[in-house]
Amino acid sequence: MKVTDVVRHGRRCAPVERRGDISAVLYADFFMPSRSRSLASVLLLFAAVWLGGISALHYILNLHTAENKFAKVAKKDKFRIGFLPVTCHLTCPVSDFINQKMTGDNIFEPIRFSSWPELKEAYLSGQTPATFILAPMAMALREQGVPIKIVYLGHRDGSAVMVHKDSNIHRMEDLRGKRVAVPNRFSNQRLLIFRALRQAGMTINDIELVEMPPPDMPAALYAKAVDAISSGEPFMGQTELDGYGRVLWLTKDVWPNFISCVLAVHEDMIKTRPEVVQQLVDGIAQSGKWLDQSMDHRMQASQFVSKNYYHQNPRLLEFVLSKPPDRVKYTELEPLRKDFEEIEQLGREAGILKGTAHFDDYVDPSFARKTTHLRAFAWEEKP
Amino acid sequence: MSVVPAEKKTTAIRPTPPKKANPRGALGVYLRPALVGLIFLLSWDVGVRWMHSDIFPTPFDVVKGVWELAQAGLLLKYIVASLFRVSIGFALATLVGVPLGLVLGWSIPAFQAFNPLIQIFRPISPIAWIPLAILWFGISDAAPIFLIFLASVFPIAVSTISAVRNMQPVYLRAARNFELSRAELFRRVIFPACLPQIITGLRISLGIAWLVVVAAEMIAVNSGLGYLIIDARNAGKRYDLVVAGMAMIGLIGLGLDLLVRRLEHFDEVRWMYAHRR
Repeated sequence: MKVTDVVRHGRRCAPVERRGDISAVLYADFFMPSRSRSLASVLLLFAAVWLGGISALHYILNLHTAENKFAKVAKKDKFRIGFLPVTCHLTCPVSDFINQKMTGDNIFEPIRFSSWPELKEAYLSGQTPATFILAPMAMALREQGVPIKIVYLGHRDGSAVMVHKDSNIHRMEDLRGKRVAVPNRFSNQRLLIFRALRQAGMTINDIELVEMPPPDMPAALYAKAVDAISSGEPFMGQTELDGYGRVLWLTKDVWPNFISCVLAVHEDMIKTRPEVVQQLVDGIAQSGKWLDQSMDHRMQASQFVSKNYYHQNPRLLEFVLSKPPDRVKYTELEPLRKDFEEIEQLGREAGILKGTAHFDDYVDPSFARKTTHLRAFAWEEKP
Repeated sequence: MSVVPAEKKTTAIRPTPPKKANPRGALGVYLRPALVGLIFLLSWDVGVRWMHSDIFPTPFDVVKGVWELAQAGLLLKYIVASLFRVSIGFALATLVGVPLGLVLGWSIPAFQAFNPLIQIFRPISPIAWIPLAILWFGISDAAPIFLIFLASVFPIAVSTISAVRNMQPVYLRAARNFELSRAELFRRVIFPACLPQIITGLRISLGIAWLVVVAAEMIAVNSGLGYLIIDARNAGKRYDLVVAGMAMIGLIGLGLDLLVRRLEHFDEVRWMYAHRR
């Protein structure tokens, strides 16, 4: 290296003619620091430009488009509903989508969560005055004094216990000493396992239960980290579709008319805006009837729900909604006393419920009763 | 590129010294890391093929996943969303953490009073704060920004405190001779003397802020690289997108680090490091 090089490169002054233009100054100073500008001025300028730029971009790319998509008419009485991307909550996006298509608007804004705790916390903080939630979780919240009322069911059946196709597990008895994954201690899948164990003459001590978020279950079964998994669809169907899972049993075989998720709303909403709750329940009921009206409707739903709400491969929903068709049901969704009394009793056995709240405390069946005369949405997706 | 240290000017006209690996040459800056990267990608690819895993993606699957996201227009959106949250959270953490650190580093009573509290809060993972973030900030951008702020404010404060406490006493003695006022002492002596260490602290904290982006976006936001990972887990067998999200976070982290490193080339910072190079 020559002296002249050193001198020339040693002081990298920004070219004089480029000064004045902010971007040139930024570039010159930040990438070729010189003695002529202090760190503080460069840093402040850079921070200001960066923060301003990234905020503007975020607004344009994310916030602005989201606003366009969900709240073109930003009505202030539009409320949010929490849901997870599982078939137990399918009526929520279906109702939203069809309402949007038919009337151009909807009374609620569906908010997708990724796991139960966050969904529950958003309800507790009042962010989502209505939510799809696990039935025993809603009941336990009620026992803890949370003003929550179940107004409708999310579905019936629609769950399974899956084992690895290479395993030797063919009956409930074969699960002795094995590791079984359930989504949550308040999940009905856990109660389902309790019930199946009792039918097989076993107890909870014969197996090892672990809690695991449903999206992680397929990979865990694939890697044989657990011997059996149980959660809502489509995560069970996924293992079957991908060729490594085998159905040990479907819920309809062990607990016919099984309920796992319900639609629950805040008590204040029932008191102050009963007509809105009724409208919500009507929409969910009509969506359920629409889904069960024909296989074609279910295939349509698979497409638009996968694409716009669940961000899954449509094949997954198509599979679990059709093989077999009675894998999950979206009719007869009125909350009934005997169903919940059974859940209550199992919940007490499983140690998740104290038994201090009863059907009349945590259920308001009046909205569901007014939906019996309703028909399915008269709507078809145009190809 | 750095300014060539002044003492090199004299060595340049001496006879050429014995040949040594040039740390600034193309070999050191580009070739070596590229080679290591290539070996890493190859062994990843071979590993996946050898294990016959159809769940774990190969590097090529990941590239295809990134391309798919770019085509859908999601990649830019997600990167911007994550950078926005980290930028705002980190900026707030700097505005709070640096002054706090300067005061606590300078005043022994204040340090004694507040340091235990800082040390109690510091090791709490941002994941543990998620429920409180939802309760306080709802399900908007404010909650992830709060988590990123929390994750970075304590490292910034702690590194600033230690910068002030480790300052050479000779600067203070000299400053006393000039009879500077308290405000001037901070502005003209303490802050400049600590700046190199503060910048290093900021660099490490920015890494931490970027690190928690996945956890922060577990809250019901609908954009961001952390959200991409969580969304891909929900999407069935899309582990290529999970790894794509990881790769994008890593690459952008590298970019951020390089950017902050530029600060070390300023004279205000370089005086402390130049002789070490």
